[in-house]
Amino acid sequence: MARLLLIEDDAETAGEVLADLRERGHVVGWAETAPDGAARMRAATWDALILDRMLPGGDGLGLLQALRREGDRTPALVLSALGTVDERIRGLRAGGDDYLTKPFVLAELAARIEALLRRPADTRETILRVGSLELDLIAGTGRRGTRDLALLPRELKLLEYLMRRPGQVVTRALLFEEVWNYRFTPKSNLIDVHLGRLRRKLEAEGEPPLIHSTRGVGFTLMPDD
Amino acid sequence: MTDLMRSTTARWALGIALWSVLLALATFAFVYWQTAAFLREELAETLRLEVRAAAADPAGAAARVDTWVAMDLHATHYGGLFGPDGGRRSGNLDAVPPDLARDGEAYRVGARVDIAGHRLDDEIWAAALALADGSTVVVAHDADEIDRVRTRSLRALGLGLVPTLVLSGLGGLLLAGRARRRLAATEAAVAQVMRGDLGRRLPVGRHGDEFDRLAGNVNRMLDEIERLLGEVRSVGDAVAHDLRTPLTRLRARLERTRDHAGSVAEFRAAIDQGLAWIDQTLAMVTAVLRIGEIEHGRRSAGFAPVDLAQVVREVAEFFEPIAEDKAVLLRAAVEAGLPPVDGDRDLLFEALSNLVENAVKFTPPGGAVRVGLARSGMHAVVSVDDTGPGLLPGERDQVFRRFYRAERARQTPGNGLGLGLVAAIAALHGFSVEAEASAEGGARFAITAPLRDEAARRRAQAEPADPMPSRAAGPEA
Repeated sequence: MARLLLIEDDAETAGEVLADLRERGHVVGWAETAPDGAARMRAATWDALILDRMLPGGDGLGLLQALRREGDRTPALVLSALGTVDERIRGLRAGGDDYLTKPFVLAELAARIEALLRRPADTRETILRVGSLELDLIAGTGRRGTRDLALLPRELKLLEYLMRRPGQVVTRALLFEEVWNYRFTPKSNLIDVHLGRLRRKLEAEGEPPLIHSTRGVGFTLMPDD
Repeated sequence: MTDLMRSTTARWALGIALWSVLLALATFAFVYWQTAAFLREELAETLRLEVRAAAADPAGAAARVDTWVAMDLHATHYGGLFGPDGGRRSGNLDAVPPDLARDGEAYRVGARVDIAGHRLDDEIWAAALALADGSTVVVAHDADEIDRVRTRSLRALGLGLVPTLVLSGLGGLLLAGRARRRLAATEAAVAQVMRGDLGRRLPVGRHGDEFDRLAGNVNRMLDEIERLLGEVRSVGDAVAHDLRTPLTRLRARLERTRDHAGSVAEFRAAIDQGLAWIDQTLAMVTAVLRIGEIEHGRRSAGFAPVDLAQVVREVAEFFEPIAEDKAVLLRAAVEAGLPPVDGDRDLLFEALSNLVENAVKFTPPGGAVRVGLARSGMHAVVSVDDTGPGLLPGERDQVFRRFYRAERARQTPGNGLGLGLVAAIAALHGFSVEAEASAEGGARFAITAPLRDEAARRRAQAEPADPMPSRAAGPEA
């Protein structure tokens, strides 16, 4: 449950986004223009901001820059039809925390908002535990119960990312960006193949599943206890 | 004709005609001047000799003067022997011409000379010499002859000038007309091209002159424009065609589901299938737009030193599981110690991903794919070799065109955009990309990138005092 503000001038898109996010239990406000959005940002506190780049009455990035200058640190996700590397960099430089290119899948937007809201605190923990799963970041070893897991370096990073977000849906694009550290849309089955490998190592015969797929969206690591 | 007068060629022809007339004038003037001078000198010499001969023999002077006057048939010789009192003793001159120096030199004197009682209104050349007894001998000659040379010369000039002018004018017109005819054919062809007939080409003559070379170059430019337009058209057609297929399927599925589906599960299945088809079309549209964006992009903020070794290793690692699932051996062969290249790491990863993805896709189970990074002089070469069916020789350039599906790839799913994207990314970076036959039996794709600080590194090696002599080349991964 979070308070989100959507600044988007296209009523159709806004309607779909509002309905989807509200269904997921968020309280979502909607502003159609940049000045309106600025006014609503200043009038109340929001947990996250979703804003379109091209807005009537002003550029979305300009609005974001103005807010950041005023000291507003609300996590912001920039939506844009412009997908080039340059545009993305510009969006992030203007103070955006994430950037999503239109057209997007609603579940992807929801997952990214979730990721912004639940950004894991920069903990000093070096041993992560989720259910029967344990990951030693210093030794680079993982165990499920008493069974040692032979993990490759990339699998370690993947598991770490998932274990820091138990119960949260992470999309393929997010995984690719955060774990592989590259930004583009790879063929979806590649990430699936990597997760499949990890899953086979985590879930030996007879053990309850840990990584759950959400069809068409992504994956969730659920504690098994 | 007005067109002709406006044309540069006609103006040149006219200019040349005027120039030749000017040259003719100058030649005539020179010839006239030389001839007149020669005649004048000749006459003066005759007069000098004659007056001296008469003076040398005072006794026979009178007879000599008479002979001088008489030997002339045209009455152009004059002369006289005058006593110390000025009275004439012989000859046809009534008096010594005034102002004539008696030094034996020939002078041109005014016509104030009286001959046989009447005044001669003309100019004469005369020489006078005083004799010992105080008398004076004068020998003179009419200047008409020299004047006639001038008249003749002018007349000849006048007569010659008209044909010169006419002939050079005609020649100029002929030349202009010829150039005009060549231009007219070119203009007609250009006009047709402007009307949209891009298949037209300019006529190219067999002279190989500047004109033909220009026409040849214009034709090559038109070839390129036609090729590009054709490509745009075929891309448009391909997009429309490739969009229609999933949309048609989607439409049919929706219609059938509306009429026949009886359960929520059936509706859900139809919607899932529909979403998959829409995603497929969106992916294609996005790919086309991305290629366009990358092609029209400029080198920009996203560029930074990129360690190709890391990119190559990570791409290989990324595709390793899927290759293994397909029983294809994927290896990375990375030469150590290469300096970075300037580029966009995400785009380079994407380009190499597309190459490796293709290689894995087209390599049959049991085959191998090798991703390599090697130095070649001042360049880094990133290569992907496979043991798949390879490319036909004629396809090697075409594979990078959008929507091109290689002959041997028709049975494999794909939209023909992957290599187009590779080509666009390479072009954005100023890298070259080539397709060739692989020594491993299949296809080989190679991206050649100039190394970033090759020059800087060499300088650093040459000067060991440099605080960071070898760090630039230090392998990070």
